[in-house]
Amino acid sequence: MGSGKSLVKRNKGAMAWFLQRVTALYLFVFLIAHFVIMHFVGTGEVTYETVAPRLSSPLWKAGDLLFLLFALYHGINGLWQVLEDYIRGRGLRLFLYAVVLTIAVVLLVVGTITIFSVNPVK
Amino acid sequence: MLKPKWFYPSYKKDVGEWAWILHRLGGLALIFYLFLHIFVTNRLAAGPEAFNATMKALSTPLFKFLEWGLWGVILFHAFNGIRLVLVDFAGASKYQKALFWIAFVLFLALWIPAAWKFFI
Repeated sequence: MGSGKSLVKRNKGAMAWFLQRVTALYLFVFLIAHFVIMHFVGTGEVTYETVAPRLSSPLWKAGDLLFLLFALYHGINGLWQVLEDYIRGRGLRLFLYAVVLTIAVVLLVVGTITIFSVNPVK
Repeated sequence: MLKPKWFYPSYKKDVGEWAWILHRLGGLALIFYLFLHIFVTNRLAAGPEAFNATMKALSTPLFKFLEWGLWGVILFHAFNGIRLVLVDFAGASKYQKALFWIAFVLFLALWIPAAWKFFI
């Protein structure tokens, strides 16, 4: 995010500001590669047979776990900045953030299950 | 020029203002999409038949169009994001306008021709 104004004025916001940029760099490479591999390489048709061989490899699993974690962190962190800018009431802001954070934690678990559910055929 | 005061709290008359608005709107769209995406991708855990059936259901022209749109949102957010990293980490604030136009051209150049893959 551009300004990060409301975050940076507090000390604990500095780490969020820094991590937002570090995750951005990982996402820039991995998300673009992800989209290109899924849609531009080959037929562009997404099937289990094309996805499973990649996801079966430990290296892709590791890359995807980081991808999942960083994407959720980056999104949640960005959303927190947005809530800080528009939701004046502290109670409502924290409530909304708690809702979104809960969804994100559930999705972190769901995504992790997905990543470990695809394994080489024995 | 449109001044969405309720949305955009600071006032500087240059492209950075629009970059800021588009970056924020795109970010909101992407987090919304990410939540759906992780949920749908979990169909992999249900096995080949279930996953392929879901993917087939999501390959209608409407979804193809939305995917192309998604690619555009990703590209703008990604290239403008690199611009922000350069401004913050590499002291490039002097060049933020030029960097915006570079990011914008890269976004259009990679987005528009990509339509070919989604519609043909």
